[in-house]
Amino acid sequence: MMVEVLISLVKIFVIVLGFVMAVAGLLTLLGDRKQSSKIQNRVGPNRAKILGIGVLGIPHFLADGLKLVLKENIVPAGANRFLHTLAPVLVLAPALIGWAVIPFMDHYCTGTMQTTAEYTEICVGGEWKNYFSIMHLNAGLLFAFAIAAISVYGAAIAGWASNSKYSLLGGLRSSAQMISYEVSMGLSLAGILLIYGTLDLNEMARMQGYLLWDWLPMWGVVVQPLAFFLFFLAGMAETKRAPFDLPEGESEIVAGYLTEYSTMKFAGMQLAEYAATVFIAALIAVIFLGGWQIPYVYADGIRIFDNHWVPFGEQAWYWISIFLRVHAMIFKILVLVWLQFMMRWTLPRFRYDQVMTLGWKILLPLSIANLFVTALIVTLL
Amino acid sequence: MPKVTINGTEIEVEKGTTILRAAAQAGYEVPHFCYHPALSIPANCRMCLVEVEGSWKLQPSCYSQVSDGMVVNTKSERVIKAQKAVLEFILINHPVDCPICDQAGECKLQDYYMAYDAQESRLRTEKTAKVKVFPIGPEVLYDGERCILCTRCVRFCEEITGTNELTIIQRGDAAEIRPFPGRSLDNPYSVCTADICPVGALTSRDFRFKCRVWLLSSTDSVCTGCSNGCNIHLEHFRNEVQRYRPRFNPDVNDYWMCDAGRLTYKAIHTDRLTRPMSNGAELNWHGVSGTAADKLGRAIEDKGTFGFVVSPQASCEDLFLARRFAKEVLGTERIYVGGNPDGFEDDFLIKADKNPNTRGLQTIFGHEGELRDFGALIDDIESGAVTSLYMMETQIPVATEESARFVSALDKLDLFVLQAQHHGELSTKAHIALPACSHAETEGTFVNFDGIAQEFDRAFAPLGESLPHWQIFMRLARAMNHKLTYTFVHQIRKEMFEDSAATEEASQTPAE
Amino acid sequence: MANVNVKVIDREPQSLWEKSYIPEIIRGLAVTTGHFFRNLNPSKEKRTTFTRNYPEEPTIYPERYRGLHRLMLRDDGQVRCVACMCCSTICPADCIHIEAAEHDDPTIEKYPSVFVIDELRCIVCGLCVEACPCDAIRMDSGVHIPPYGERNEAFYDRDLLMSMGGRSQAVQGGKR
Repeated sequence: MMVEVLISLVKIFVIVLGFVMAVAGLLTLLGDRKQSSKIQNRVGPNRAKILGIGVLGIPHFLADGLKLVLKENIVPAGANRFLHTLAPVLVLAPALIGWAVIPFMDHYCTGTMQTTAEYTEICVGGEWKNYFSIMHLNAGLLFAFAIAAISVYGAAIAGWASNSKYSLLGGLRSSAQMISYEVSMGLSLAGILLIYGTLDLNEMARMQGYLLWDWLPMWGVVVQPLAFFLFFLAGMAETKRAPFDLPEGESEIVAGYLTEYSTMKFAGMQLAEYAATVFIAALIAVIFLGGWQIPYVYADGIRIFDNHWVPFGEQAWYWISIFLRVHAMIFKILVLVWLQFMMRWTLPRFRYDQVMTLGWKILLPLSIANLFVTALIVTLL
Repeated sequence: MPKVTINGTEIEVEKGTTILRAAAQAGYEVPHFCYHPALSIPANCRMCLVEVEGSWKLQPSCYSQVSDGMVVNTKSERVIKAQKAVLEFILINHPVDCPICDQAGECKLQDYYMAYDAQESRLRTEKTAKVKVFPIGPEVLYDGERCILCTRCVRFCEEITGTNELTIIQRGDAAEIRPFPGRSLDNPYSVCTADICPVGALTSRDFRFKCRVWLLSSTDSVCTGCSNGCNIHLEHFRNEVQRYRPRFNPDVNDYWMCDAGRLTYKAIHTDRLTRPMSNGAELNWHGVSGTAADKLGRAIEDKGTFGFVVSPQASCEDLFLARRFAKEVLGTERIYVGGNPDGFEDDFLIKADKNPNTRGLQTIFGHEGELRDFGALIDDIESGAVTSLYMMETQIPVATEESARFVSALDKLDLFVLQAQHHGELSTKAHIALPACSHAETEGTFVNFDGIAQEFDRAFAPLGESLPHWQIFMRLARAMNHKLTYTFVHQIRKEMFEDSAATEEASQTPAE
Repeated sequence: MANVNVKVIDREPQSLWEKSYIPEIIRGLAVTTGHFFRNLNPSKEKRTTFTRNYPEEPTIYPERYRGLHRLMLRDDGQVRCVACMCCSTICPADCIHIEAAEHDDPTIEKYPSVFVIDELRCIVCGLCVEACPCDAIRMDSGVHIPPYGERNEAFYDRDLLMSMGGRSQAVQGGKR
């Protein structure tokens, strides 16, 4: 029992602190500043140095953190002090809790791995050990959605508790936008649930190992291309970043619900946005891009066109495949995050009515249509 | 009355009018250098040539008189050609050192070049070198290269001052203006030659390089040097008077003023009392009016005999309020007259009385009974008849040994309040010293020796914390709970004239 | 509202391809991605970044750049300025203070005994150079106005301005 708790703690630390916080935090620097600078023919931040070394401007990120920690904590006059302080927690916590169900790799098998003709990996003579996701939940997708939906409270409360009209408008916009896009987000996934028949994220990833005609990986994006597109769009809207950053629309409402925040409360809110970006990327990776799957690479060897070939011996290959698959998952997440930032620096911001039109009049009908067509096909097959 | 047609405009002028004046009446400017309305007409610059119909030569308009039926053209092609030729001729040896020249900005040659010539020099040889920075007199410097030999200065010395210092020496391009051997341009009106010089050949030593003329702002004012009250342009830049320039007034000073009067502006900026003082400590107005009211009130209660010294240096408005203050607030009848002692006098503009407003003072205090002599004040202080003194301005109209007596007698006083422009022996002795401002910083009226009342305008804001005399009286009166309220100088002026008219009536009635 | 002039502009009709946005978004992404990878090029020459690392790589000023003022000298090393006050008159920021004085040499006559420019007040418009009739003041030192720790460090007096000056080719007082 103690061992399991310890393992869980280690997993939480590695995933939440080591991966999410590091990636999200670094992305505020590298993704947002360096990437944009490259796109815009600039060099980006490169002044801050530690002992005369300023690698890629990384000390900027530390300097910013230090600055934010040392700043004065301001609660505006007339604000609700308790809720004003609570809101950042409500924003940041869901962005981190959702990670509990993201599988970075299939469960570890104490016995030997075998792959069936259906390209399903089974564990023979041993049992599954959950070492690569914090928590194995067979309703993982629901959990992720439920938790993600909570963060709208944070934004709304932050807007309301600040006693500022800009904040209130920002909070209002944020809740309207998140609720609108959650609908099409959920509906776009309904089709994929019909096909996979499970809510377990790890199970979903496992099912995507199937090779159609022995060469085409049956990833979510192949079976549900429209849903992939819809989910990607809605997911970007969920993270409240450009081109959907209306809750913080600087040109109209200063900084939206962030207006009255300073110091680490502000940093927490900002961090939550980046964490949400990474989280959406992880969800897309798991649902549509095969999760930890690498095409043709299986736990018991490499398979393509009915050829089976095991390099380095069976046990060694199992370890190698675990290593490759974990990194494949991380790589997929990073590529998706990069793509989201690319979108941000490519597209101009929508107008508010355009955001609502896109959400309700385009994405929602499309996802319903997608659901119907999928249901029809699944029924007929 | 002859009728002439100038540039198609028909105009009727008096007999004997010159064409130049007739053209001016018709609204046409004829350029000229040597002609000056107050001087004789030599017609030597040839700048004012105009075309007269029926005459085959161009006529000098400053000299030629109009005749009936004359048709004059001041803008014909021939005239323009002649003007260009004259200017080119004058400019042959002119150094064109306008950046250095003090006259730049008010130079006739500069203006006419821009208006009538504006062509490039065709001279290809060296210009003639002549004398530079020649001290032609103690107040005036001469630059031979810039001189256009219009002889205005020579004629001024002949006709206005009658001193005949200057003449032209040499001939042709070597000609220069010089004083006669053994003489120097040292008459008391010598700087007027710099004024009438149309170019920068004669410059005032005092104003030399001090300020560019285009930076100056000009205010109509009156010179305070003597009781003649010459009208002046008070020219100032950044709250500082830079020079006085005579302002034309045929009744008082014509176009002229004396050299001593020109330098009186310096007093405005030397040793100014800029903050109220009480026993040597600097105070603000709020504090000092309280202290002064307190001390004055106690002096009045003590039934001590109050002396009040009024100054003919102050304007009529100030003196009118001084009278009201002395009578209504201090309740004293002992009014003494201060001011400068008499000095040099001549038969032209300089008057012996060195105070600008003696007549005004006499008019305002005339019906108050007697105005006492300043000598009497010294005696009164020494005898103890006057124990408290309120004094306007620091000038004392007595000889040096007498004034030393006065200064030492001041120690006997219980209270000595001084209200003046300047620091000095008196302000250190004063129990309370109040800073008053000069005539450049407020408006008012001076009555000159001839009885002509002349208004002067305010040029800039009072320096430091100084205030006009009339405002100081109002402040003190208010602090002592007396009603003495005016907002503008013209309110005082109106009341003053009404009062003066009433007095005149009263004084004339018994005479009948 | 009835009298408002409304100008109706014909909108360019969009094809279905454009209306779907997706190809256009992909085109946009292609542009930004192109820039992104071009600027990741290890060879600095092949990058298209315009940013200059200022203190390490100083800017090359254009030939007519207006920098700190300097006062030009006569052949004998004296100041060319004759204190005509043209520059201080035209100066819109009122940053030039000149006090004229009589020179010992009567051919020079007038020179600035005090000449102070408040470089912090200066708006670098160059009108003083335009106004100068003697080619005495120039702004072609090529040095831009440095940051100052204290206000009075920005007051450049005559000798400091002359130390940056050179000999002018122009004939003093123009051609005779």
